[in-house]
Amino acid sequence: MLERVVALVVLAVAGGYLMLALALPYGTTARPGAGFFPTLVGIFACVVGAGMMVAAFRTPLRARSALAAASETAGRTRAVSTVLVLVAFCALMPWLGYPLVAFGFVTVLLQRLGSSWRAAGVIGVLAAVVSFYVFAVLLDVPLPSGPWSS
Amino acid sequence: MGPLEGLAYGFTVAATPTNLLACFLGVLVGTIVGVLPGIGPVGAMALLLPSTFALQPATALIMLAGIYYGAMYGGSTTSILVNVPGEAGSVVTLLDGYQMTRKGRAGAALCIAAVGSFVAGTVGVVGIMLAAAWLADVAIRFGPPEYFAIALGGLLLLSRLSGGSVLHSFVMVAIGLALGTVGMDTVTALRRFTFGSVALSQGVDLVPVIMGLYGVAEVLLLAEQGVAKALIVSVRLKELLPTREEWRRSWAPIGRGSVVGFITGLIPGPAAVLSTFIAYNVEKKVSRTPERFGHGAIEGVAAPESANNAATAGAMVPLLSLGIPFSPATAILLGALVIHGLQPGPLLIVQRPEVFWGFVASMYIGNFLLLILNLPLVGLFVSVLRLPQHVLATLVLLLCLVGAFSLSNSHLDLWILALFGVFGYALRKLNVDVSPLVVALVLGPMMEKTLRQSLFITQGSVVDIVARPLTLAILAIPVVALAVPPLLRLRRRPRAAAAPVA
Repeated sequence: MLERVVALVVLAVAGGYLMLALALPYGTTARPGAGFFPTLVGIFACVVGAGMMVAAFRTPLRARSALAAASETAGRTRAVSTVLVLVAFCALMPWLGYPLVAFGFVTVLLQRLGSSWRAAGVIGVLAAVVSFYVFAVLLDVPLPSGPWSS
Repeated sequence: MGPLEGLAYGFTVAATPTNLLACFLGVLVGTIVGVLPGIGPVGAMALLLPSTFALQPATALIMLAGIYYGAMYGGSTTSILVNVPGEAGSVVTLLDGYQMTRKGRAGAALCIAAVGSFVAGTVGVVGIMLAAAWLADVAIRFGPPEYFAIALGGLLLLSRLSGGSVLHSFVMVAIGLALGTVGMDTVTALRRFTFGSVALSQGVDLVPVIMGLYGVAEVLLLAEQGVAKALIVSVRLKELLPTREEWRRSWAPIGRGSVVGFITGLIPGPAAVLSTFIAYNVEKKVSRTPERFGHGAIEGVAAPESANNAATAGAMVPLLSLGIPFSPATAILLGALVIHGLQPGPLLIVQRPEVFWGFVASMYIGNFLLLILNLPLVGLFVSVLRLPQHVLATLVLLLCLVGAFSLSNSHLDLWILALFGVFGYALRKLNVDVSPLVVALVLGPMMEKTLRQSLFITQGSVVDIVARPLTLAILAIPVVALAVPPLLRLRRRPRAAAAPVA
């Protein structure tokens, strides 16, 4: 089933890309325009997507074992937690500033991955302070300091 | 400048204190990331690329390349001692390496792996000196059609060799090529696929994509696997010496592995990994006692460990002489050269000899440093495994985020990193190799440029492009590689169907 969904997504994205590419100026074969190469890439992607669809529908559906699904749940939860914390970092950094977001990121992630809150908090403070000092102070990277900077 | 004269000049560049320090740091970081399972050399190179912006081009290249070949040394340590490959190029080593550890010969296996890596690294550098200089000489005569054919042929071959389904590899190539078209068109200055974003008009930067696909995806996998403690075997210095019989058995496999590795490195694909499998199988075939393989045969350690190091050197040849990377690691090196305003290609040797020859000489020095570092400090490197994996993974993730932001101080790069991290994780779960995507992203803009130039030259005649003798020869190789296996399968099928059932 997964193969069919993946093939469908590939075909849909490839089709969307080709539509956008066709809207760009194609030029002529002797004087190719900005849309020439993207159109070729879009056609290639659609052909490959169609090939995946055919291959996926020719393969018989397999049932997943309930045991395999259950054994993966804990791992999946940890991976999803990591993704959520990552997304939160990207979304909050412009508003709250790097030091606070880095502290929260390290602390929450470490706790989710198995550390105690206390150990996670200590490592979080150290990681935020040291990385801010190295990148913002020593290497002059303009990391946002947040609403408390001024 | 001849190869020997060039090499002598290269040593004057590589032996400056700054470059020696860069080389040392590169191989040290490379060894550590090689030892640590989950964090590979490509992720580490991408992570450290922003820190090289302030360095001279030769220094940056020396440090980044040190990480690449240093990881091949480090990867063998965990394969042999812990039965966990530190990176993909050391998977084959654990078959016999760990069996040697179980028999109490871990020290000998580590020593042979290090010596084999050193010999192969040195053979590989001699190969670069000769092959890259010769190829660059030939490549000066190449025009846009030949460059287009090399890039297209390389992508086709990569799709065939990167393992798994060719269709999946083609999807990765299509995604990489499509990403390469995002941003401002270099000829007409028209914005393509930017959806009104000014930040996207500069295009999709390679580094956050690589950091996401390799760094973040690996951390997500580590998070999923949970905290695991490795059983670490300690090795004393006096146990490192192989017996006379072990030395005798190892020399020929080291030589054969070096040659196999270097040749495999020249071919587009996961050279370091592929070379180890080929070298291992070659040794098994030529051995009078193949039944010993898998039960602690030292040839099974010597050959693959030599091959993966020689392959890293071989992979540098197309990068340095043609300016075309065929693997994610060399794509990062290309990125480093471009960031420093250099145009990799056949003219690099002539226009910037200090970069080319300094880099080649630094590989000799780096291999020597690795030999010195790896044997006496093996215990120290293995103790890196005692660090809690989840703490390390979290800190690596934080470094990826800061590193991606520092590229152009753009929040967009953070989102690209996160997006490709999740995408890379999903691809690992589906057993899809991401390297065709990375190489296509790098080669895409060059392919577009050379295709447009070629069509302009030939007044739109595709036949005139393909009919050029060199273009035809270059394209024939991947076409044969892609077409022959399915044709052979088709030929076998009717015979199998016709065979009488017993």
